[in-house]
Amino acid sequence: MSDEEIRAGDRPLRQINREIREAVGAGRYVRVTEPLSRHNLGVALPPGGSVTFDGSVGYYCGGLNNGAEITVTRNAGWGLGEAMASGRITVDGNAAMSVGASLRGGTIHVRGNAGPRCGVAMKGGMIVVEGSVGHACGFMAHAGRVICLGDTETAAGDSLWEGEIWVAGTIRELGVDARVEEPPAEDIAEVQELLASLGIDDCGVAWKRIVSGQALWHFKSRDAQQWLMI
Amino acid sequence: MCGIAGRTLNEPGRVGEDLVAMMAAQRHRGWDSTGFALYGSPRSTGYVVRALLDDRAHLDADLEAIRAVTREHGADFLEDPTWDDSGQQHVTARFVVSDPEPFSAWVDACDALPRVELQSAGRALEIVKDVGDADEVADKHDVREFIGTHGLGHVRLATESNVSPVAGHPFWARPFPDVAIVHNGQLTNYYTWRRKLQRRGYRFTTENDSELIAVWNSDRMAAGDSLEASLQRSLSELDGVFTYLLATSDGIALAKDRWAIKPVVAVSAPDGVAVATEEQSLRTLYQDEIDVEVCDGPSIVRVWPVGSPVPAGAVA
Repeated sequence: MSDEEIRAGDRPLRQINREIREAVGAGRYVRVTEPLSRHNLGVALPPGGSVTFDGSVGYYCGGLNNGAEITVTRNAGWGLGEAMASGRITVDGNAAMSVGASLRGGTIHVRGNAGPRCGVAMKGGMIVVEGSVGHACGFMAHAGRVICLGDTETAAGDSLWEGEIWVAGTIRELGVDARVEEPPAEDIAEVQELLASLGIDDCGVAWKRIVSGQALWHFKSRDAQQWLMI
Repeated sequence: MCGIAGRTLNEPGRVGEDLVAMMAAQRHRGWDSTGFALYGSPRSTGYVVRALLDDRAHLDADLEAIRAVTREHGADFLEDPTWDDSGQQHVTARFVVSDPEPFSAWVDACDALPRVELQSAGRALEIVKDVGDADEVADKHDVREFIGTHGLGHVRLATESNVSPVAGHPFWARPFPDVAIVHNGQLTNYYTWRRKLQRRGYRFTTENDSELIAVWNSDRMAAGDSLEASLQRSLSELDGVFTYLLATSDGIALAKDRWAIKPVVAVSAPDGVAVATEEQSLRTLYQDEIDVEVCDGPSIVRVWPVGSPVPAGAVA
């Protein structure tokens, strides 16, 4: 049972978000009814509490999240959890384009499928997609990990930096400068542990890991200063 | 950044009201101008025409000139013209003509009249577009009262041309009756195609790439392509980022480019189909949770004929 119920509906967004922020900051569990796919719900939430959106949300839900536990019971629009620093976002349905874009920390867990550019330019954190991911998954990911239990679309891992994409299913086509490697046993054990913490049993799948081919500009160099010359 | 929407109803109904609600929910995507392409009950003969007349002071003379041109092409007004009574300088007139021959020559002759530009002509199609947001345009032109089977909507934030009633969407695929388009995006090989199509005799009234896409598809269909084949071909022959909805007398259809930049979502419900740039637009029609197809992937083509049965609980 939630501590508090907030109706979104057609009420002003700032008011809804202020109410959610206050409740979550005070460590309460909030349930938001009638989200009606509205944009920018639950943005920049502080740590302490949790919020469940009872339905579908629009763009940028949970963006800039700073520690809250967020659940969406249906689908999420573009930019779910964009630039999140910490916390957890769980989507019971599908998530659209650019899940966790520029993610810095925390975990995003999508039980359905994720759209194109999942994990684009992420700089840390973890994105787990139980279904499949769309075109250009992990595009230019600087760091962090995308774990896909289904298949990837085209251009998977295009222009990766230090990020990595774990795939249980089929990789339809790799992107520029991406290569597939067999992950070492200790890394597999770590991923299995992370998945187990989300209640997912990987059933011993043969994991493939997409990493950077390091053939692009200065990628071969381990000198981070050289990378900063861009 | 523009907002587009499409709607089909299995039975004729308040398609105008639905589209106004859908476009009002996307007002933040553009409030310079708003337009609707509405399909009523198709006539067996005669064309419903919507025309923009530049100057209310010459209204009677301009309508008389249109009548004269129509008679020169072996046709006449079947109903007395009606027009908006806003008092603004520009006037949107609606009239019905019997079948002029040849149709495209009649269209050219009407457009050649000073102060006259046809906005649409078709057995069922009526394009209503004007400056202002969805509610303003709907109030002025009684869009909410329109009864029909399907239609398109568009809100425009003018970025590359002026704000005027003719610069807004939807565009009519002049001179193909009953074909209209709304589009979110931009083509990069616009002039290449424009010159090719002009050499084949097509005439464009704007420098808007959306008008070109409508004519391009109509030309393909006139050459024998099915609607679906034409849309599929457009993904490789038209270059740029685009998501567009094309409407014909049979229904609406979607094409989305290879780069998958411009968003679009769709719902197939028991009463019909709703498509829009943003999901919150669909939710004005369906407040209860319903399966929404997020068309985020690249190279998408969909055709939704009016009245095609949707199995219960189906996901589009």
